[in-house]
Amino acid sequence: MRPLTEEETKTVFAKLASICGNSLKNLIAPLDNSPTADRYVFRVQKTVRLHDFPPMRSLQMTSTNVLGIALQTGVYYVLLSMANLATTVSRDNLLSLGTCLGKMTKTGKFKLHITALPILAEHSRYKIWIKPSGEMPFLYGGNIVKAHVGRWTEDTPEHTGIVVFSMDDRPLGFGVTARSTAEARRLAPTGMVVFRQADAGEYLRDEDSLFSSG
Amino acid sequence: MPPSRTKTVKNKHAANGSGISGSKATRTGPVDGIVKNKKGPPPSSKPSNSKAIAAILKKRRKKTYSEKELDIPKLNMITPVGVEKPKGKKKGKVFVDDRESMNTILAMVQADKEGEIESKMIKARQMEEIREARRVEAEKKEGERKAALDETKESLRKKRKRGGKPTADEDLDVKDTLLTGSNAVKAKKKRVSFA
Repeated sequence: MRPLTEEETKTVFAKLASICGNSLKNLIAPLDNSPTADRYVFRVQKTVRLHDFPPMRSLQMTSTNVLGIALQTGVYYVLLSMANLATTVSRDNLLSLGTCLGKMTKTGKFKLHITALPILAEHSRYKIWIKPSGEMPFLYGGNIVKAHVGRWTEDTPEHTGIVVFSMDDRPLGFGVTARSTAEARRLAPTGMVVFRQADAGEYLRDEDSLFSSG
Repeated sequence: MPPSRTKTVKNKHAANGSGISGSKATRTGPVDGIVKNKKGPPPSSKPSNSKAIAAILKKRRKKTYSEKELDIPKLNMITPVGVEKPKGKKKGKVFVDDRESMNTILAMVQADKEGEIESKMIKARQMEEIREARRVEAEKKEGERKAALDETKESLRKKRKRGGKPTADEDLDVKDTLLTGSNAVKAKKKRVSFA
């Protein structure tokens, strides 16, 4: 487990900023005004994803690097005090801590996971509420069509991050807008308005791979 | 001068006995058994003048250059940009964990994103304006066309109410009347017939 490098921090913030608004700075703000106040930090932890290698599941692995198994570079959002405590656990034995925001790819990009939804929902800039009839299609991995939209934030530009809520304000997932609000008004009921990126259904669909528990 | 022939020595150590120092062969004297007096010529007396010493020393100390001094590239090839590492730079990753630098990065990223979104929105608004203008123009044109059509229709209706449009035959008759100046039927040509 290690802190993020400058490049990585930039990438992570850029991705978060595409969904979150100005309140993003509250993410890393100290919890109170005292000089020794605790705050949230980002940590990178490499963990083995055994599910990617079914024959390897039975193996007892001590040094993952030696075996050359793909490692998942997870980015965690965690309290500094907890991160400091976690240094007592060896790297191989530490599976997860805090909230997993996503993972860094080998090409240096950052991909958000559904596990980041509570944080994103709290700080999102653009929101869309979908009707009860549209919840199931979305939770099964579908994009959102205009007919399922209950309401959404005015002046939303196209191709920007958006958090999806049910009509009773429960966050269901997030995605990217396909059209701006103005354009979407003229759209046919079957036209796409939001492309899905992650939905709460992944907790069931990707149960094996979502958490690197092996 | 002919090239001197080389002699192949199978075991060059064999000449000096077995080749193993301290072995019987090396320890024993010459084979013929004659031991010569090892007294060689007495060592020549050291040259007394310092100039000679200096000359000898000068002869011995030939400057040798190390690889570094020669500044020859280690590999006789082009070094890729990524491979050459800058000197005096810290090895490994530089972590960002203090609040100030995190805030700086965040502010920079957010300003970038803000600008991006802003430009997107401005662009969308401009596009919307253009679309609206086009729509208005198209509507106007459509209205004009419709008005023209209605006008034509109305004029036709009025004409029909007045008595209807004359047919083609009637038109010809009118022309004839205009040419002859009377409405009477043209006189037939005179003919002579024998009964």
